[in-house]
Amino acid sequence: MRRTVVGMIVLGLTMCVVAQAETLQIEGSTTVGPIADAFAEYFKKVYPDLDITVKKTGSGDGAAALVDDRCDIATMSRFMKAKEFKAAVDGGVFPVAHVAAMDGVCPIVHPSNPVKDLTTAQIRDIYMGKIKNWSQVGGPSMPIVVISRDTSSGTYETFHGLVMEKKEMAAGVEYVNSNPQAHARVKTTRGAIGYVGIGFLDRSVKAIKVDGVMPSRRTIASGVYPVARPLFMFTNGYPELGSMVHKFCTFYLTEKGQELVEAKGFVPLTAY
Amino acid sequence: MDNKDLTLTLGPAAEFNRPLVLTPGQDLFGFILNHVGRALLFLITCSSVLAVLLILFFVIVRSVPFLTDYSIADFLAGKAWHPTSDTPAFGGLTIIVGSLYVSLAALVFAVPLGIMAAVFLSDIVSWKIRNVVKPIVEILAAIPSVAYGFFAVLVLAPWMQKHFGFSTGTNALNAALILAVMALPTIISVAEDAISALGRELREASYGLGATRMETILKVVLPAAHSGIIAAVVLGMMRAIGETMVVWMASGNATQIPHPWWDLSQSIRTMTATIAGEMGEAPEGSSHRSALFAVGVLLLIMTFVLNIVSEYFLSRAKKNLGRS
Amino acid sequence: MKLTTRATLDKLFTGVTGLSIVLLSLVLIAVLGPMVYRGSSAVLFNGTVEFRKMQRELFNRGDEKELEGEIAQTETFRQGVYAKIDAFKRGIDIDAMSDRVRQINREYGKELRYKNTPTEEYTELRSRSRDIRDILEETFESQDIALIEDNVMEVLQAAQDPNFLGTCAEEYFTIARNFLAAAKQVDLSRYHEYVAALEEVELLLFGSNEHNGLLGPRPEEPTRAMARVRYGATRSDQMRELLDRFLVAEQWVPAEGTDSLVKVRTPRVEQFEGTSLASLFPYVEENIEKLLNPRFTFYWQFFVDDNVNSHYFGGVGPEILGTVFITVLGMVFVVPLGVIAAAYLVECSSDGWIIRLIRMCINTLAGVPSIVFGLFGLAFFVLFLFPLLGFEQKPCILAASLTLALLTLPVMIRASEEAIRTVPQSYKEGSLALGASRFRTFMTVILPAALPGILTGVILSLSRVAGETAPILFTGAVSLGPVPKSMFDPTRTLSYGSYDMAVGDRLAMMVPHNQYGMVVTLIMLILILNAMAIVLRSRVFKKLKGH
Repeated sequence: MRRTVVGMIVLGLTMCVVAQAETLQIEGSTTVGPIADAFAEYFKKVYPDLDITVKKTGSGDGAAALVDDRCDIATMSRFMKAKEFKAAVDGGVFPVAHVAAMDGVCPIVHPSNPVKDLTTAQIRDIYMGKIKNWSQVGGPSMPIVVISRDTSSGTYETFHGLVMEKKEMAAGVEYVNSNPQAHARVKTTRGAIGYVGIGFLDRSVKAIKVDGVMPSRRTIASGVYPVARPLFMFTNGYPELGSMVHKFCTFYLTEKGQELVEAKGFVPLTAY
Repeated sequence: MDNKDLTLTLGPAAEFNRPLVLTPGQDLFGFILNHVGRALLFLITCSSVLAVLLILFFVIVRSVPFLTDYSIADFLAGKAWHPTSDTPAFGGLTIIVGSLYVSLAALVFAVPLGIMAAVFLSDIVSWKIRNVVKPIVEILAAIPSVAYGFFAVLVLAPWMQKHFGFSTGTNALNAALILAVMALPTIISVAEDAISALGRELREASYGLGATRMETILKVVLPAAHSGIIAAVVLGMMRAIGETMVVWMASGNATQIPHPWWDLSQSIRTMTATIAGEMGEAPEGSSHRSALFAVGVLLLIMTFVLNIVSEYFLSRAKKNLGRS
Repeated sequence: MKLTTRATLDKLFTGVTGLSIVLLSLVLIAVLGPMVYRGSSAVLFNGTVEFRKMQRELFNRGDEKELEGEIAQTETFRQGVYAKIDAFKRGIDIDAMSDRVRQINREYGKELRYKNTPTEEYTELRSRSRDIRDILEETFESQDIALIEDNVMEVLQAAQDPNFLGTCAEEYFTIARNFLAAAKQVDLSRYHEYVAALEEVELLLFGSNEHNGLLGPRPEEPTRAMARVRYGATRSDQMRELLDRFLVAEQWVPAEGTDSLVKVRTPRVEQFEGTSLASLFPYVEENIEKLLNPRFTFYWQFFVDDNVNSHYFGGVGPEILGTVFITVLGMVFVVPLGVIAAAYLVECSSDGWIIRLIRMCINTLAGVPSIVFGLFGLAFFVLFLFPLLGFEQKPCILAASLTLALLTLPVMIRASEEAIRTVPQSYKEGSLALGASRFRTFMTVILPAALPGILTGVILSLSRVAGETAPILFTGAVSLGPVPKSMFDPTRTLSYGSYDMAVGDRLAMMVPHNQYGMVVTLIMLILILNAMAIVLRSRVFKKLKGH
């Protein structure tokens, strides 16, 4: 037993021989995470010596990490809050935002639901508990199961700001902690309504029009669709031109980057 | 046990070829070693205590901004939890009730089952079968909570919706069932220890009076072991209250108090889930973040109280044992 | 009460308690069964030729010769698919034809200039070419078969013109002939329907930049951005699902007697009834095995491979490594600490208030939510202690292990304490009576005797260390990163990976087998580590019993 322990410690110490390579640390939002993942995977192939790590904990943590200088790039699904910005500047960090892509937040229902079109006011009433049955909005007589993302996600914040107009949701609203879970809940529940990022639309759920506009890549890119938001990458100051951080933060401008953004289910900013 | 085996097991201390009288040097060395060792042990033990105190300190300090700015009464009795709104409200009643609600519901499932299993393992089956059955319980304890969470969301929730006609499958019942499974190993092992620690005399006396096994267990063994069993229940409850990932995935997280109170098919939200779900996105230094730490403090106080309760019952169990 | 009733009740009671164990086993099976079943399909499945292609290109694995032969073989059957679609497309893809015709016009102009045609002749020929272009374009837009026929005839009159022979303008006439042939077969009034349906069929067969197709991209297509869409269906379950979607169109339509929409499945072949494409569907259905060549695959490399495209392909190798590393390191910290603390609590102290306080603290630690451990680990180890000791200030394996060690300390202490306490007092007294010091007594008599109990503690804490997600979220886990070179690097782990896959990416939604595969790998890893501890415990126990 004692010998094993000693052996393990020796093993641990021998593994301390560190080979220094150029590193790039990315931390932050779970929503922007997939884009960072895809970019990182591509960069890893192009620059084999580069050590890229991607962490997905949340936008708030991304901001905190940038303030503490624990990461090179903070991915965020919302803009920095005033407090975070102030903390950053006080700590000698000057956050610069790069908009990497757009994301649309799309209300979804079960495919058996005949409702096709809702106004923002109707959706708001559903989430505030004023409309409780699908028959009130032209659907079958079926109680509405209201599903929302957790109150701290960027997706929620977008929905809360743009659809709910910052009004509070009813107490009976069910909260799920991820887009896949919201998707899975709506897929398996006949009376459900939920909302997910545009990348999560597929044939097992039905997207509904908001104020007569169908959520699609085209309507989001052209700014017609009302519930869309930018996705950010924050750096400390504008990165030195030609540095790896600079390459990473501007990768979304290249054709390859846009293809990857699209492949991950988001809307690239400029058409290629 | 012959001499060779003993040496093998116990090492050099069991070799009887040492001189019985120590030289003064050896004596002094032993004396110093004894005291230095003792001090060292104390220091190491204290380091773990230090860690605990650091964590407590950390959580409490982080919650201070909230506790000074907001009234504690509002925090404990308010029903509205709108941390991200323009006029944030931090009423914790719903999540406190939610935590207690699922934990108690989990105990309703877990306690009878756990006690029966404990009785079965300690009093009914032979040692051999017990050794076969015990790993089942240990495996249940070993399955990681992420796996339970997966099961709750992807298997149990759709199944409940389909077969029970619930409007939502991620609800209090789902969370309670999973928590019950997770609390069972704790309950079983502590209860079994308590029951088997009672000794043969009590049982033999009962059998000697002509009681059947059922009567012995129900009327003699269980009442005699009740302190230990209560401690088991309390420890199980602690496990259920402290569990995070599973309830976050399985309970639906709606900030509401179930109405009517016995309706388990509604979604609820617990304190741990609130912390886990909102901590990542809450901006550093905001009142939201320190409110979450305040929830953590509350959680610590609850486990502290439960702890005292279980300590009380466990020490009573020991005393009872001493008397019998 | 009668004796028989009592005896029956007694039997009943035994049965009921036994039932509780049966119930426990059922729960275990219910929890593990579905997950292991689905998870095992990450390793055992029917892999198609596309899977082997992927393995060859991404992991440099498999016999190249054999694979080439297999690809050539499937390609012969795929040619049939390509030919059928191209033939149909010729008459239907108006935009492409218009583009082509315009291009020919431009190229023809260039060609004339290149040949130094005199200006007058050049102008005339250009205008004739433009006329042909305009007529053709008008023809493509038309839905009137008579008009189409007339127009095509008019164009074809110029076919024998020596000015066009041997130039790129010849293609005008091929297009015109093909279009006429196609137009005669197709119901032109349903043209838009066909275009939409064809687009869907092509998407299902060949995929796109975002979607996987049944057969994968056509050979002449440029390489796609993400590896996951470069291949067709790699597994037979995926193959069957995509085939079903290819053969049958699903729609939700209103139905009588209910307000809800009802799912209706119509064979896609009906959409193309009477056209040349109708034969594609039975062709693909009959030859699906030959198109993809699925055969049983034991993909054991799942446990060593790195993942590709957020776990769409590949395995969990680095994750296993990271989990083992963190777990072992965590145990290195927690076992000595836990045993020493337990020893002190039992051996060296009376039941004073200090001990009570210590014990209270330790037990309270057990109630701290795991996420708080994570935040504490970040604030204390990473941001405070590491800079103090001169380490780099970043989340790493060491920080994660230390945090996890703290998390399981109460479990370890409690189990060891219990184990040390149950060592009979007579052992200790015997040893002390023989003149051994207390330290020696503890190390050589009490500790070995308490080892089985301590190992139980190890089992319990090991499972927690390996399975916890929240504490390492901030202290050492990353979703993507290089394989750690030392304990000062962050790492990927199975527990965080499972969580990340469950909440993060839409790609993970498409590969449930890999999602379950990761969770089951985690369970298996923990069970293996546990089994090792259990075996060790029983061996120690046997040794202690002396036979």
